[in-house]
Amino acid sequence: MSGEPGNVNRTQYRLGFWLLLAPIVLWLSLLIILPHIDMVLVSLRERIASRQYGFSLSNYTAFFTEPLYWNTFVRTAVMSVIATLLTLIIAFPVSFYIAKVLTGRPKIALFILCLIPFWVSELVRTYGWMILLRETGLISGALQWFGLADQPVEMLYNDVAIMVGLIYTSMLFMVVPLVTTLDSLDNSLIEAGYDLGGSSLHVMKSIVIPHAMPGIMSGCIVVFMLTLGNYLTPTLLGGKDSLWFTEQIYTQFITRFNWEQGAAFGILLLVLSSLIVWLGLKITKQSFTRVMS
Amino acid sequence: MTDQAFASGVDAEVQEDLACALLSKHFGEFAAVDGVSFSIPRGAFFSILGPSGCGKTTLLRMLAGFQQPDSGDILIKGSSVLHTPPNKRPVNMVFQHLALFPTMSVAQNIAYGLKRKGVPKREHASLIDEVLAKVQLPGYGDKRIDQLSGGQKQRVAIARCLVLNPAVLLLDEPLGALDLKLREQMKIELKRLQREFNTTFVYITHDQSEAMVMSDQVAVMNKGRFEQVGTPQELYYQPKTAFVASFVGDSNQYAGTVQAQSGQVVTIVTEHGVRLLSYGSQPMPSGSPVTLFIRPEVMQISTSQPVTEQDNCLKVTILRMLFDGAHSQVQVETAERVVLTVALPQTADFQALEAGRSVYVSWQASQCLCFPVSPEPAEAAQ
Repeated sequence: MSGEPGNVNRTQYRLGFWLLLAPIVLWLSLLIILPHIDMVLVSLRERIASRQYGFSLSNYTAFFTEPLYWNTFVRTAVMSVIATLLTLIIAFPVSFYIAKVLTGRPKIALFILCLIPFWVSELVRTYGWMILLRETGLISGALQWFGLADQPVEMLYNDVAIMVGLIYTSMLFMVVPLVTTLDSLDNSLIEAGYDLGGSSLHVMKSIVIPHAMPGIMSGCIVVFMLTLGNYLTPTLLGGKDSLWFTEQIYTQFITRFNWEQGAAFGILLLVLSSLIVWLGLKITKQSFTRVMS
Repeated sequence: MTDQAFASGVDAEVQEDLACALLSKHFGEFAAVDGVSFSIPRGAFFSILGPSGCGKTTLLRMLAGFQQPDSGDILIKGSSVLHTPPNKRPVNMVFQHLALFPTMSVAQNIAYGLKRKGVPKREHASLIDEVLAKVQLPGYGDKRIDQLSGGQKQRVAIARCLVLNPAVLLLDEPLGALDLKLREQMKIELKRLQREFNTTFVYITHDQSEAMVMSDQVAVMNKGRFEQVGTPQELYYQPKTAFVASFVGDSNQYAGTVQAQSGQVVTIVTEHGVRLLSYGSQPMPSGSPVTLFIRPEVMQISTSQPVTEQDNCLKVTILRMLFDGAHSQVQVETAERVVLTVALPQTADFQALEAGRSVYVSWQASQCLCFPVSPEPAEAAQ
């Protein structure tokens, strides 16, 4: 018996390993992998008669032959890319200011200020924008009061309103990774950049941005995914003409009760988002593991 | 040559690469740098030595342009640079943690400054090779920064600055992060590089050995002021203040009062009641408090009473032997319980010494120093 403890330990170790792994395996397989396999299967069938289904690619051909679907798809992708880039452009100076210019209490205060809006639900936040932008809203009223407009101005239900809402919703998810990476940039590197003759622009371009690149990419990926899959903001701020691809999926599943078509759209959206993220990483020469760590 | 982009209107008569006049910087009430003036001759290795918090980093950052002085002037090659931003000043800095750009290779790190200076791209490769050869890292251009050892990073940081031919190179305790052996090598290496490039180096450190070994001139800084500026030998043998005497080199330090003064020889009674003769350069009235400094190596140990007349001779008991090769010392105690640390020559004469033995230590008055205790009592506390 004296030779056994090693084996017992090893079995216990293996058991512990699998027990610890179990929640994530269950979570992944039940909530992510299984539904997606089912989605793929559903998307590849066609109803022949009541309760009778056959294999078909018609759901996918419908997507490519119907211009409305195709246009909505491209439009959603382009708008999401633009929203991501605009979020980055707005969030970068804010993050730089928080991470590198401020210290101590003001730094924490400003960071919390970025966080506070997210204590409110996205729905309520979006209604907040509707109160500001609608025809009888605050901005319209103010414009009339100052005499800049002679009748109520409708600022809702257009692409700009959608864009404003999307950027506002995404800001935090860009600011957090950016502040984290910029915080880790040693101030003396910036000083060395100046000391060796670089202007502010050079220092930004050749020292700060290369250092912050993993943060920029991880922020962009998260924001892009959130924007592409957003349903609430485009629907509320863009009205019924907002033409967001998630709305098409919703319509197929809920209104038309055409689960096969909806599933095909879902799969296409997944492929699209993966493709664009891959392309973004390729262009910026970043690796996914480095960006996400 | 292309390296004259910075050096405009150089006056041939100006022999100082760097000069400061009454430079001051306050942080609130606290005077970090307080009316410092100095000038450094061309091609000198100038060290600023001081304890942490003495203002030496603030001074260096003002020279580099990262901090603006409250008053005073900084002249580089004879012209004021007060209104020149750091990226336009003809000085470069080796940072404490080197600040090499981790996203660039060694060659790109060196090329960064060349590009900003507008050196044509076709000249980069030869300039980089040349400077890498000078710092003894030939062929390291394509290495990533994280592939280098501590000493190699050091050399790259220096090469990155020297390739730009700065008027002055500022070094902010760059050897602090290295281990002892490497630090000893780098001291000699830095001195060699300074000779080879013939550039003025301003080196700040809290390590007196670094300052002494490398420098032509050392300024000892304390509480925002320069206590003394001089060659390492002057600071060691002729310190002008009690702070310099205690900060530079090792000393036995005793508080005492003046009993009498005749010429430059002062008779002092220490707080333990031991009567000693010392050299004192300034007039000290009898009864005034003084601090006495005796270096371990000026005292001679002998097992019998010295034959020749010595100004100070004490009969002592050995407390403990502190063996450290050539730096071995012995701690001895007088009948009055005054403890002295004495350097122990590693010769056969003293092999037989051991704790508990009685010996004599003796030294001449001219070999120890005393300073009146200044009104600020914290001064000698270092």
